[in-house]
Amino acid sequence: MSAYRGLVQLGLGLWTTLRQIGRGASTVSYPEEALKLPPRWRGRPVLTRDPDGDERCVACQLCSAVCPTRCIELQAGEREDERRYPVSFRINFSRCIYCGFCEEACPTLAIQLLDAFAFSTEHHRDLIYEKEALLIDGTGKHPHYNFYRHAGVALHGKDKGQGSNESPPVNGRSNLP
Amino acid sequence: MKRIFYLDGQPVPFTSGQNVLEAAIAAGMARQIPYFCYHPALGSLGACRQCAVKIYPHDDKHPPRVTMACLLPASDHLQLATVDQEVHTEHRKIIELLMLNHPLDCPVCDEGGQCHLQDMTVQTGHAVRRYSGPKRTYRDQDLGPLVHQEMNRCITCYRCVRFYQDTAQGDDFGVFGSRDRVYFGRLEDGPLESPFSGNLVEVCPTGVFTDKVFRHDYARVWDLQQGPSVCPHCAVGCNTLPGARLGTLRRVRARHHPEINPHFLCDRGRYGFRYVTAAERPVRARLHGVHSRQDAVLRQVATRLQEGRSGFLGSPREDVQSNLALFALADCLHAPFAALSSPWMEALAQQCMALPQAPTLNDVEMADHLIVLGDLGGVAPMAELAARQALRHGARLTVLASRPTALAEAGDYRPTRPSALPDLVTGLAEDACLQGSRRPVILAAAETLGPAGVHALRKTLARLPANARAGVFQNSPNLFGAAYFAADGHTVRLQHALRQREIDHLLCLAADPLGSDWGAGIWRSLAPGLQGVTVLDMVDTDTVRAAETVLPMAAFPERDGLFINYEGRIQAFAPVYRREAQVPSWQENTRGFPAAAGGQMHPLGPPTPQYWLGRLAELLDIVKPWQERLTFYQRFLCPIAPRPDHPGILLDDALRARFEIAAAPAAAPVGTEDWELDLFRWHGGEALADAAAELQSLAPSRGLRLNADVDASFATLSGPCGRLRLPVLPIVGMVAGVAALDQEGFAQLGLHPGEAVQIQWETVS
Repeated sequence: MSAYRGLVQLGLGLWTTLRQIGRGASTVSYPEEALKLPPRWRGRPVLTRDPDGDERCVACQLCSAVCPTRCIELQAGEREDERRYPVSFRINFSRCIYCGFCEEACPTLAIQLLDAFAFSTEHHRDLIYEKEALLIDGTGKHPHYNFYRHAGVALHGKDKGQGSNESPPVNGRSNLP
Repeated sequence: MKRIFYLDGQPVPFTSGQNVLEAAIAAGMARQIPYFCYHPALGSLGACRQCAVKIYPHDDKHPPRVTMACLLPASDHLQLATVDQEVHTEHRKIIELLMLNHPLDCPVCDEGGQCHLQDMTVQTGHAVRRYSGPKRTYRDQDLGPLVHQEMNRCITCYRCVRFYQDTAQGDDFGVFGSRDRVYFGRLEDGPLESPFSGNLVEVCPTGVFTDKVFRHDYARVWDLQQGPSVCPHCAVGCNTLPGARLGTLRRVRARHHPEINPHFLCDRGRYGFRYVTAAERPVRARLHGVHSRQDAVLRQVATRLQEGRSGFLGSPREDVQSNLALFALADCLHAPFAALSSPWMEALAQQCMALPQAPTLNDVEMADHLIVLGDLGGVAPMAELAARQALRHGARLTVLASRPTALAEAGDYRPTRPSALPDLVTGLAEDACLQGSRRPVILAAAETLGPAGVHALRKTLARLPANARAGVFQNSPNLFGAAYFAADGHTVRLQHALRQREIDHLLCLAADPLGSDWGAGIWRSLAPGLQGVTVLDMVDTDTVRAAETVLPMAAFPERDGLFINYEGRIQAFAPVYRREAQVPSWQENTRGFPAAAGGQMHPLGPPTPQYWLGRLAELLDIVKPWQERLTFYQRFLCPIAPRPDHPGILLDDALRARFEIAAAPAAAPVGTEDWELDLFRWHGGEALADAAAELQSLAPSRGLRLNADVDASFATLSGPCGRLRLPVLPIVGMVAGVAALDQEGFAQLGLHPGEAVQIQWETVS
């Protein structure tokens, strides 16, 4: 009885194996073949631009504060039109663990973990990416968001009260009820 | 007996006069009660309605009710609760209302990370704005180069106005408007006039007022390297907290010292630090005006010293140990040494040292009768702030000055010629009003009073009741430290040696004898006898520009040391950061590995004076005797050096008593018909702070300040060491026959305050 059951099990296992023969390989012969990445894949962080083409990062330093490996370093500056921007932005990818905390912390949706992942080099020093290498020309995953449309600060070309959901500036000298 | 009340069942100790919020914060229970408008220095107002607690009356007649903790005086066995549905609802709803119009600015707001509003909102748990209507907005004002305004963020706690109008008694900033349009600002755009305007940044619980200087080189507060330091810009010695990042100094804030500066800092202390980052600051060794290798410059200096024809000049601008190191080197080489650049200054330092224990600024605030001699606010603004607190408590204030200073306008202004001050000070001993006061305090600007005046002050204090105190202020941080070496005639001996051609080389430590130090006129007349001058300094001065060899020096936040303030309090400061020549760039960073790895380290900033003097001792082969002397003098003068975060140790009375034998220096007589000079200083003016660009953009124009009756547009002054032509600036209410001149002018003329001067008038139509 037990011998019969063993043969049936063996036959079933063999059938499972034989069934795969016609189905082709489930592995990908990377790097010759491109990988199909899931949409929420966390690859190398990049700095994106807003829909108007200006860089999104306002150098608030939250990404560097939240980074568990302290691999982000930046210096804030102010442009002539009073926009804040990072004068320098540096990520040391030999320390980055692709946890995505920076993306979560970013209030302007500037830093995003996109799909790039294969960028190995021979030297650690080649893994220190500067702003020029991080800033891309697109909006990344969020095509419509522009932080400065919602912020209360005035810029050149955007006066007080012109932000979204803002009323025009009040007269702070008026004593009328 | 220990007095307590109960908050959520926990006993909270308090002292009489405290309110519930104050006691809870002191007991470390601030997390239970969120608050906005309360500030320890500004008191309670009850404007924000945030600090609600529930009070349970002891009798059974009244139901428990919600009340404001900041307006509730603490009393014994009070039963209070914050873990309560009603209180919680109050906290939540009030913060929701305060946040109703608050913009979405946190990422671009400089207050982020040190924002009271942020903390309280997170603490209360408010996260989502339910109201979907539009937000109120304001137009901002330009408040000058120091403070940036962003009115949209305001939560109308009134802290700014309470500080500016009540505490600092400024009158160019206030509150306007009504209902939900309340506006805090000036009547018109323009720089804030108060010498304490920078404190708006610290009292504002949100980002309405932020630091404009910090803004240009911003770093988040969590990224800053901070350490205990002492302000080097005047004799008060306020405790500061400099913050640096990536090898550059970014900002300076006040550090709590219970007796000197519990909360605030003047603008000179807050913004004067920019001398550290000034473009003109010498950061590389120079030989004949050209950048050279340190070794070459040091060898040149050592060669000069080996000739044995050198003099040494220290400075009250430098800390105790640097002056000691220089003194020890001079001692080893048997060379003449002076710590002060003029005999007049030496006499003044000795007289100041001989005064009895000065009051702390806390004592000044508690005074009931104040007499102020000279322009206190121009010399030591924080002393003026303390005097203004005494005024608020109802003290009588009499100001004896040659012109109506800001403080004089707040009190009883007695127009006085500087030369008459010593006699008037002597007369104060007979003053019945002063005799009858409980806590009389006399405050004086040292240089206006002069050595004779300070001597008279000591004699007067001896005749007044024991509760009378006096403080004399000067704007160098370490006059007492330099006065150690001001034994009779050091400066005269040094100048005499130079005149007799016994020396032809001068090694100056942070001194500017060829520029604007006191007595610079005499040094300039002796300069032709000098073969070379060596300067160790951290700011660009006339002497640095004229020197043969320049050795750059670490600024105060870059090293440790000791200052002795106007009370004789020894305070230590710690190195806050290491200066790097520049922020490392991409290329430098990749190639900037240590030499062992085939690269170069980042060049570090200038070394300390002790390092330079030690290297010189090495080159001269006198390291051992130099170190022995240094240790010996250090043990003798400050046997116990305090730690940098220590409130300071007062100088030994026995040490100060040695200076009491100093005889009264004779003041030059001035006729009533003569023009005499008084010292003019503005609240941001000081040797180091003069190199701070943002602060100096507010400096008043240079000129000779006179009574408005004089009808001339230019004046040419003649003194023993030179002539000076200056525009005339009329001042209403100034004493006739007195002209106020800046220290640079005094240095050029070779005169001192209270001395007569010849003036030729010129009228240009």
